[in-house]
Amino acid sequence: MAERERPAFAEMVESLPDPVLVVAAQDPDDSAGRRLVFANAAARELLRIQAQGGPLVSAIRHPRVLEAVDESLFGGANGEAAWETGGAQDRFWRVLTRPLETAPDGARLALVVLRDETDSRRNERMRADFLANASHELRTPLASLTGFIETLRGHARDDAVARERFLGVMAAQAARMARLIDDLMSLSRIELNEHIAPEGRLDVVLVVLDVIDALAPLAAERGVKLSPKLVERGVATITGDRDQILQVAQNLIDNAAKYSPAGGVVEIEVKAGLTAEAAIAVSRPGAARLSLLSPDLVGGERFVALKVTDHGPGIAREHLPRLSERFYRVEGQKSGERLGTGLGLAIVKHIINRHRGGLAIESVEGQGTTFTAYLPQL
Amino acid sequence: MNEPWVKSSGDLVESLVAEVARLGGLAEAQIADCVDAVTRRDVPLAQAVVARDVKLDALQADIERRAIDLIATRQPTGRALRRSVAALKIAMNLERCGDLARNIAKRSLVLSESEPLTPLTRSIERMGRLVAGRLKEVLDAYTAGELDKATGVWVRDEEVDEHYNSLFRELLTYMMGDPRTIAPGAHLLFIAKNLERIGDHATNIAEIIHFEITGDVMSGERPKWDSLQRRSDTLKEEG
Repeated sequence: MAERERPAFAEMVESLPDPVLVVAAQDPDDSAGRRLVFANAAARELLRIQAQGGPLVSAIRHPRVLEAVDESLFGGANGEAAWETGGAQDRFWRVLTRPLETAPDGARLALVVLRDETDSRRNERMRADFLANASHELRTPLASLTGFIETLRGHARDDAVARERFLGVMAAQAARMARLIDDLMSLSRIELNEHIAPEGRLDVVLVVLDVIDALAPLAAERGVKLSPKLVERGVATITGDRDQILQVAQNLIDNAAKYSPAGGVVEIEVKAGLTAEAAIAVSRPGAARLSLLSPDLVGGERFVALKVTDHGPGIAREHLPRLSERFYRVEGQKSGERLGTGLGLAIVKHIINRHRGGLAIESVEGQGTTFTAYLPQL
Repeated sequence: MNEPWVKSSGDLVESLVAEVARLGGLAEAQIADCVDAVTRRDVPLAQAVVARDVKLDALQADIERRAIDLIATRQPTGRALRRSVAALKIAMNLERCGDLARNIAKRSLVLSESEPLTPLTRSIERMGRLVAGRLKEVLDAYTAGELDKATGVWVRDEEVDEHYNSLFRELLTYMMGDPRTIAPGAHLLFIAKNLERIGDHATNIAEIIHFEITGDVMSGERPKWDSLQRRSDTLKEEG
């Protein structure tokens, strides 16, 4: 009775979460003759296989993987290879190959299983980066705190005026360390989920309006005007994590307000129904520009774009490529309260990457900067 | 006619495309490995890259021979002819990418003899990833026959240039600050230039794919994000 309930074998392999392939070949010298006779749903999605029976090299062309497959096809041995898929969503795979029994028509068969090792590789790299950068970033405010503590214990002990001033500086430094740790924690949370597609629907316009409401008092304090130009409600809907999209809008708008001169205007624009090319179309003629992140395109997608423009000092072209790097701050901007943690854009980039969107920047020195975040529209 | 042991022209073209994809895989691996050799100061890996280059040369020669053979004996027309010609031309571009990767690997051998310039090798790594990503995209477009994806690579040509310019300035700052970094700096500059040229080959391949699919030569201006004039101005300021 239990036998009747057992699902068909092919169906089980089809729904396995790991990509599974079966390769058939007749002649070791004919590389086009190695064909994919089976690919389960996970493999078809990963390798974008449209029809079964196509050549293996159209799906995987890495030489070490092909060698491992050959070992199983013609050497009768188990093979193994590491494989990295580049592109916007970098992933690491362990490819395992096993020989199968020869088919009735004499074709040799091999089983290929892909195991996702992205998380462990990413954690390894993150740990190394974190140690190098975070310790450096935390050391600066800490050194200043220690210095002031020593002064307060020493000759400034009885100087009430100096004590007040030093305590103020110390509080600012401690706040800076706290901000840094907050940003680091939120970044690491985002990174952990970066390869899990977000759920839920949201209207980008509503999110942006919320952010504008929240930031208006701060902007008014700095004498900066927020000027929104949004599409109607209900048009710019996307699949996404509301809190994260809120953070994207907040970081971009807050940054623009920070770098605006007093009396300046920050233009906030939401558009819908754009192609990827239209989303990153030039809006400032003669600007240095760069795409910090571009999504993998299948064709025919439409995007919702959020453009945030300031009229601040702008960013020189040589700084653009490194802008979304963690802890990277443009030189000469390390003064006063404008000091950020250097993590804001990295956070924006990781959130957008999770939502399969893109991020572009245009800047003219002395005139201002435009950030464009675009996300696939529902 | 149609003896079972004679392959149809369609099969021959398809196997030619498969061989080009295989050559593409070899070139991608060479590029990834040579950049790793630079960033990790990995001498055995660099030597392996140099040694493996003959494989690419042999495969390219084989593709060339087969493509010419196919065109001469089967006289394909229309799309089949364009696919054969495209295979021939893409193989040449990929073989050049392989040569550039070998050159980077050779330079990494020299670099491993001097002190590490960590921030600069990280910039090289970033640029290498960008260029490798473009080549991957264009080869994916080739094997899947996707015009949009190829056009996308063609349009976003300027990113690599921006990285190259940024790295160029970074290198100058280093070399002016400390003359001992001039020798390794010069090698890094050539490495960056080689990566930029690999990016150019990816753009060429995108154009060839466009021709293969549509039969038209890609025309029109690429959206220019940076005018040449501006670039020469910034160079003058530095001089």
